Amino acid sequence: MISSDVIRGYNDTMILYLLLDEPSYGYEISKKIRELSNDKYVIKETTLYSAFKRMESNGYIAAFLGSETYGKQRTYYKITEEGKKHYREKCKEWEITKEVIEKFIVRENDHEYNQKLS
Amino acid sequence: MNTIRNYLDNMFLGLPQTDDVIRAKIELLAMMEDKYNELKSCGKTENEAIGIVISEFGNLDELADTLGIKEIMENRTDIPTVSYDDAMQYIENSKLTAPKTALGVLLCIISPVTLMLLLGLSEMNLITAKEEVLVAVSLAVLICFVAAGVSHFIRFSSKMEKYEYLQENVFELDYKTEQMVRSIQEQDERSYKSAVNISVIGYILSALPIIITPLMLEIEGLSVISVAVTLIIIAWATYNLINKSAVHESCNVLLQQGDYSIKIKSNKISKTISKVYWLVIVAIYLGYSFITNNWAMSWIIWAIAGVLYGAIKAITDGMS
Repeated sequence: MISSDVIRGYNDTMILYLLLDEPSYGYEISKKIRELSNDKYVIKETTLYSAFKRMESNGYIAAFLGSETYGKQRTYYKITEEGKKHYREKCKEWEITKEVIEKFIVRENDHEYNQKLS
Repeated sequence: MNTIRNYLDNMFLGLPQTDDVIRAKIELLAMMEDKYNELKSCGKTENEAIGIVISEFGNLDELADTLGIKEIMENRTDIPTVSYDDAMQYIENSKLTAPKTALGVLLCIISPVTLMLLLGLSEMNLITAKEEVLVAVSLAVLICFVAAGVSHFIRFSSKMEKYEYLQENVFELDYKTEQMVRSIQEQDERSYKSAVNISVIGYILSALPIIITPLMLEIEGLSVISVAVTLIIIAWATYNLINKSAVHESCNVLLQQGDYSIKIKSNKISKTISKVYWLVIVAIYLGYSFITNNWAMSWIIWAIAGVLYGAIKAITDGMS
């Protein structure tokens, strides 16, 4: 399980990615996030909803009411052009982030690990 | 599912009902419901599913900004939490004091019984004392019974006083405590239901002596005695009811269900109305009875008042 602090800046990226294929609704998105992360990350309902609201007001996603299934009408979200643009930027940002942080990480089988940490 | 709904209600308690807030609540509930249903269909038990849903819900503080309720969330006086120990102690104490309170009620109800018996017997000429003496003696007994009953109330109600806030104020239970209280209530369910049944049967049967005796025997004085028998049955039924419903009631208080739901607690109008209502009824009862001296009939006010109260309550609840 990853703590939500670490991942905070990238919740939007995950949601936007999932919306690239097709519009979706709250629980489906949270379920896909969990599945794609192999159960390592579970997004909290409040986190998810606040991301929806924030991205909606930024114009990255748009909400609409889906058709009724089993007597339940769900709010669906779809990605906008603006959202796609933002997603591309976030992907680029991640590449750089990864590159930068990577410089500061040592792994167990590295030569450096044995030298400095053991 | 109700547990989840209650949980969400608690979370949103005291927040302004703006469109944004209402919508957020609906959406969050939908997500929780979906998750709950999926967990259930994966073979999780009710309790497991609720536990997972609640633990993965998150924190409303995250939404404060988006919902424009930041100031309120920061200033919100935290809803007090009732600890596990306090909850268990409350149930335990209710259980212990119940028979004592019930005894107090019983003493008050049967207080006029000696009066009735003695008067009845003297009318049947089975006792040959002066009526004044009989009345004096039985009034003394009546007062003793009432005094004993009332002193009982005072003694044991002061013990429960420290728990009054549970009935008046809104509070929170943590998940584990709530589950425990629920299971205590479930375990008690059968004994509670059968006690209610028995008492209701008692109440119904209590009318029999009054109805039947004048039909079967025309002996002077017997009707007064039959009222005494009726009172004894009512007293016993009430004792049984109060005694055996203590656990059920105290669990309701803790789970904030029924008469103690958050909705009712926050409905100040209906609380005031109910207080005023019963005082007015007592005034009417005493006034009517003393003026007309028709004590034999005036008790019917209580039966009517009870039914009428249901109607008034339905109206005030509907208005809020």
